[in-house]
Amino acid sequence: MTSPLAPRRLSVSRRALLGGMAGSVLLRVGLSSAQAQSADPAADPDAVIRIGSLYEPQNLDNAAGAGQGVSEAFNDNVYEGLFRLTDAGSVEPVLAESHEVSEDGLTHLFTLRPGVRFHSGGALTSADVKHSIERVTAEASRSSRKRSLSTIAAIETPDELTVKITLSRRSISLPYNLSYVWIVNHEAKDLTSTADGTGPYRLADWRRGSALALDLFADYWGERPANGGAVFHYFTEAAALDNALLTDAVDLVSSVQSPDALAQFEGDPRFTIAEGLSTTKQLLAWNDRIAPFDDVRVRSALAKAVDKDRLRQAIWGDRGIVLGSFTPPTDPWFVDLTAVNAHDPEGARALLAEAGHAEGLRFTIDTPNYDPHPITAEFLKAEYAKVGVTVDINLITANEWYTKIYQQKNFQATLQEHVNHRDIVFYGDPDFYWGYDDPEVIRLIADAEASATEEEQTEKLRQANILIAEGAATNWFYLNPQIVVSKVGVSGYPVNGLNAQFFLRGVAKA
Amino acid sequence: MKRLTLRLGLLLVGFNLAVGLLTFFWTPHDPGAMIGGRLSPPSWTHWAGTDRLGRDFLSQVMVGARIALLVGAGATLLGGAVGISLGVLAAYARRGLDDAFAAALDILIAFPTLLLAMLVVAASETASLGTAILAIGLAMSAIIARLARILTKRVLAQDYVTAARCSGLSWARLTRTHVLPNILPTLAVALAAQFGLAVIAEASLSYLGLGAPPPNASWGTLLQQAQSTVHRAPIGVILPGLALVSLVLGINFLADGLRDLLDPEREGAE
Repeated sequence: MTSPLAPRRLSVSRRALLGGMAGSVLLRVGLSSAQAQSADPAADPDAVIRIGSLYEPQNLDNAAGAGQGVSEAFNDNVYEGLFRLTDAGSVEPVLAESHEVSEDGLTHLFTLRPGVRFHSGGALTSADVKHSIERVTAEASRSSRKRSLSTIAAIETPDELTVKITLSRRSISLPYNLSYVWIVNHEAKDLTSTADGTGPYRLADWRRGSALALDLFADYWGERPANGGAVFHYFTEAAALDNALLTDAVDLVSSVQSPDALAQFEGDPRFTIAEGLSTTKQLLAWNDRIAPFDDVRVRSALAKAVDKDRLRQAIWGDRGIVLGSFTPPTDPWFVDLTAVNAHDPEGARALLAEAGHAEGLRFTIDTPNYDPHPITAEFLKAEYAKVGVTVDINLITANEWYTKIYQQKNFQATLQEHVNHRDIVFYGDPDFYWGYDDPEVIRLIADAEASATEEEQTEKLRQANILIAEGAATNWFYLNPQIVVSKVGVSGYPVNGLNAQFFLRGVAKA
Repeated sequence: MKRLTLRLGLLLVGFNLAVGLLTFFWTPHDPGAMIGGRLSPPSWTHWAGTDRLGRDFLSQVMVGARIALLVGAGATLLGGAVGISLGVLAAYARRGLDDAFAAALDILIAFPTLLLAMLVVAASETASLGTAILAIGLAMSAIIARLARILTKRVLAQDYVTAARCSGLSWARLTRTHVLPNILPTLAVALAAQFGLAVIAEASLSYLGLGAPPPNASWGTLLQQAQSTVHRAPIGVILPGLALVSLVLGINFLADGLRDLLDPEREGAE
């Protein structure tokens, strides 16, 4: 098992969960504490970087349910935000030159960087910023941050380079949430198939089902990237993607799907393997609204019944780490809670008996039909059988998952991978698909957002984290590792794939 | 030669059948028990190694034979019963109705089995062995119905059948005494061939997650699960692949042998 706190490298990972679906709440991202690889000085500055990916965008607009593919290709490459979530997980200003906050935390004044131009030629103004934020918070928006930005009461544009945001309540995460907002040209039309941002790359070509090409934007306000452009080649099969790297069809694969696929690259001097720690959490969510999952004793018993470490080994071999709650070690409010409801089949039986289920229990796990969910469900079925619980496995597609589980909340238990960064806040929303409704947790999460300092926010979320673990709100299993394979000579690629971002500007090829 | 293909067919199908039946009483290990290491190589304890969960792989492949035969036989029975009934009835129908039926069959046959299976699964909201049998059986019934209709019409056009009809023989009795005995040998060969296709269709559906739900160790499911571990444990693909080939090959040999045996013209030619 890898140490959770060791320096790591990582990037965007595997299969899209809900590619193209509204909200992209489960967008797969990764996180690590390490910095991006340094670029090779012998690199060719005009080299075009070929990236192999499994995540073709459904469309080109991240406010229109484009899925994680568009974040991978466009975040900080084609579109920039007022802020950027860096590869190391911090938030830094990009198009915002300065940011002032009033004493009560309700008024935020942003001064925009001067001299910034859109790819279509127009200058960046405060009207573009206002339009871009309103696009995300609009009724029709399918952005995952729509709810997070709902504290915005008003956006004013006193002059061309000043934006004033007034909040209805304090929101310490505003800069973080704004890092999800692309600044688009307010005159741009049909952003689902075209693009007009301020980033160092322009959309050159998008051949659906095949590839998306980006070339350099000559009038970019910042430093020239270390390469001459990039092409994302899209694959639907992980094996085909790995073969593309083996046959020199791509320079880099950011999402090796299983530890076993690495056998092809290990020991081969042509390739570099980088392993990191993602924020992708494999879990079994209960429908906490309904019996018997509304009983904490049942949830705790079902948590105790599972040997999580054995499951982690089955799926990832010696990689990944066991989780005790919803937060990965890289979140500031992480607490090691693996001792809470640890593997204890005897204890599970006793708790089930106490909850009135001494004769056993039967329920259905709705299981996405792609790896590793079916085999995970089989593992759980065997584990639960040991404590007298019978599980029926119902395989469903990703689309069915979205409709049946996420929208209709019509399920008993479901397997899923949650990939969002800083997503403990989902437990503060009783309307979320798992329906966890603990007033104390909801209060703590709301208060954390209204904190005056990051320390205060961290402490409150840490307490919420402990409460959801003790309440066995969900059965969290393990955190995926992040495995990146590149050709030797390719360097400077982002090692952390936060929110599926793949920053291109530093990537160099010798 | 015809005896050889028949014998080979019987041998391969018989072997798979024996393995499938044996699994009701014995497998080397409990196929669902997680008793070994992750992807252990073949050993004396686990002759074909273990899967990612440490389950005995040979036991799972053996259980797969049971599922393949069950779905194959179920779909063939369903397809045969529905197809023959409809085909024979259509042959008796008036011209306009018969033509409409023939057109409907052509449309059904053009419909891919997998697509039909997806529709059946969508309609039933859950994938199961039953939906797999239903989907494959329905697809097969169209093919069998078309053949049965043509064969029946051919029989009905014979002079002795016309004579029998003129003598007042009821259509039910005509079917029983003249039609079925004449069309069944040919249909048996067709059904045998369809059995093989049904086994492949079941594996395909399971591979796509539309067949037998976990933990049923369908060969298609095993192949799908082994896809990501093929470089580390190639036996995970080889063994269910070989099992599938052996059963389908056996069924095809059997169908060939049956055709030779039941077709007097081919016997004469030899």
